[in-house]
Amino acid sequence: MIHTLYKLLSGPMMWLAVILFCAGTLYRLWTIFRLVRRKEKFICSYLSLRYSLRSLVHWLTPFASLNMRLNPVMTVVSFAFHICLLFVPLFLLAHIVLWEQAWGIHWWALPDLVADIMSLVVPAACIYFAIRRIRKPEVRYVTGVGDYLLLGLIALPFVTGFYCRMQWPGYGPVMLVHMFSGQVLLATLPFTRLSHMVLMWFTRSYMGSEFGAVRHARDY
Amino acid sequence: MEKRAIMLLIILMAVGWAAAPCLAQEKMHVVDNAIFPDTRCSPALFDHDGHNEKAGIDDCGVCHHVYQNGRKSEVETSEDSACVECHALKAGADNPIGLRRAFHLRCIGCHQIGEVGPLMCAECHPRASLH
Repeated sequence: MIHTLYKLLSGPMMWLAVILFCAGTLYRLWTIFRLVRRKEKFICSYLSLRYSLRSLVHWLTPFASLNMRLNPVMTVVSFAFHICLLFVPLFLLAHIVLWEQAWGIHWWALPDLVADIMSLVVPAACIYFAIRRIRKPEVRYVTGVGDYLLLGLIALPFVTGFYCRMQWPGYGPVMLVHMFSGQVLLATLPFTRLSHMVLMWFTRSYMGSEFGAVRHARDY
Repeated sequence: MEKRAIMLLIILMAVGWAAAPCLAQEKMHVVDNAIFPDTRCSPALFDHDGHNEKAGIDDCGVCHHVYQNGRKSEVETSEDSACVECHALKAGADNPIGLRRAFHLRCIGCHQIGEVGPLMCAECHPRASLH
């Protein structure tokens, strides 16, 4: 049973998740660019590399935007969350060993203790985001059930991953949940709020260019 | 007399209790991982004879193989040499499969084909035997 499920999850399901992620991302980009061409073609006239980069750099540097300075706790949690979310899956030794096993490629891995702490930062940050969504009226106003489910979906691969790392009881089935939840997260990413991973680069360029080149103001 | 018998019993129990982990260690077999400079997990649990009996492996060359010009030798085997002699730690031009990958492919690869045996990290590298 475990063998069959492991084979399914480590083979066809993993490929399906990656293909859905790539195809979904391309689809989202294609539909958005089509919409821009139809409705807001004029933005091409003032789209500026300089103002796009100015905006991106300010929003990717901690405390470089006014909004980040106004919400210092959120800034710290958000940066820690994003760094851990991206680094742990890519630089975890247990994952690298699997890349190596499949394709013979390997790279630098996070030290064990650092990886342990970083994988706990993600669910901890998800709890913070959930509380923030409940407690802050302006955030609660734009929150739906899907947003809480999404936070749970993000936390799940990290919680199950840490559980497996600790080798607590039920290791085998939990590992299968770990694999499946990670795949669901990857496959649905382009169709949820998480699509900001890809779209953020364009929305910030849009805002940066409009604020910089048209309004002669800052967007950060 | 009775006091002496009780004392003897206590001593025997203490010795037995102290010796138990050592006896268990005797039975425990692992793959020697001393060659790896930076081991971050416990050596893989592996009972050579028990495994081969269970898996029905009589041909030593299944694991202790010899490859010549990219082909597995039908007659030669390599029980007398360490895995690292061919599979150096790092993969290179004359060593397409590094040692860690060779171990993982040899064990997990076979388990996947036969659909039996451990697949996931902790099944071979339990935390308990790390220290």
